[in-house]
Amino acid sequence: MSRAWLIAAPLLLAGCATSSLVLMPDDEGHQGSVAVLEANGKPTEAVISEQSRTKLGDATPNSKPLGADGLKKDEAALLTNLPPPAKSFLLYFDQGTVNLVPSSAGVLANLRAEIASRSGPEVEVIGHTDTVGSAEDNDKLSVRRAEQVLEWLVSQGFDRSEMSAVGRGERDLKVATEDNTDNAANRRVEVIVR
Amino acid sequence: MRGIAIGLGLIALIATSDAAAEIARIKTSSGTATVVRGSQKLKPAPGLQLEARDTLVTGKDGRMAVTFIDNTRFAVGPNSSVSVSEFQYDRTQQKGAMVTQVDRGSLAVVSGKIAKSNRDAMKVRTPNTLLGVRGTKFIVEVPQ
Repeated sequence: MSRAWLIAAPLLLAGCATSSLVLMPDDEGHQGSVAVLEANGKPTEAVISEQSRTKLGDATPNSKPLGADGLKKDEAALLTNLPPPAKSFLLYFDQGTVNLVPSSAGVLANLRAEIASRSGPEVEVIGHTDTVGSAEDNDKLSVRRAEQVLEWLVSQGFDRSEMSAVGRGERDLKVATEDNTDNAANRRVEVIVR
Repeated sequence: MRGIAIGLGLIALIATSDAAAEIARIKTSSGTATVVRGSQKLKPAPGLQLEARDTLVTGKDGRMAVTFIDNTRFAVGPNSSVSVSEFQYDRTQQKGAMVTQVDRGSLAVVSGKIAKSNRDAMKVRTPNTLLGVRGTKFIVEVPQ
């Protein structure tokens, strides 16, 4: 009985030892890497850092170039099904107000089109201020800016449950300045569409 | 003693509901596809909010696409079972940790802010391997 188990065990291990990894550059062309931290329960320190296909499970992974054939049909289909990358929009405001600068009006139209084009969108609205005024007032102003954008999106027919709005006050300046500095680039709302 | 135990139970419940925050959303799905949450089986309609420990299960014609709140993106292929067993992300600090388990099938990943936040903050487990993702695009395949 136990002897039969001893014979069967390596076969079972072999049966599940066929996981594989295909590593590719990201959409911007940067080649990242994947570390194999454990193989078959044992710690390893291997790092795969080239475009390659690797059979997983060995302590020293044997990576092969993707070669002329490149991706298999199933793999190419899988990549086609990846959601689009998150997209970020910046809207700018007049000093001390929730009024958009005129040049940001066109960005609103692009933002609306982007959300409408996505399936199951999530929209994160983050308000910011410059350093004019107190930190407390700027916290409030940044929230009002973010909520103003969110309310506009609601008025355009988007579901509130798709969206969130937060204010970061003067904590995350786009351009570092001294306190009480008027700066148009810092008076902004970032909208991330996923 | 019993009172304390019940009290602790309540705290645990509160902590659990707190932890059950949105981590991702279903973008698209097709064919036979299910989100398994504990004993529940949810239809992966576009916009469905995922929680940590959800499992994405597809049949032979099934597919799902998911985007996480840190911008990580998944495409789950046919005949797959993929769980996000751990997910923590601080939107303000843009740091976190994530463990994804691929029990069978195929998963394409484009990593997001979690993978950039700390070395091996994003891990992927297959039945025989633990991978540390260092910012990239890849496919993991686990044949049945």
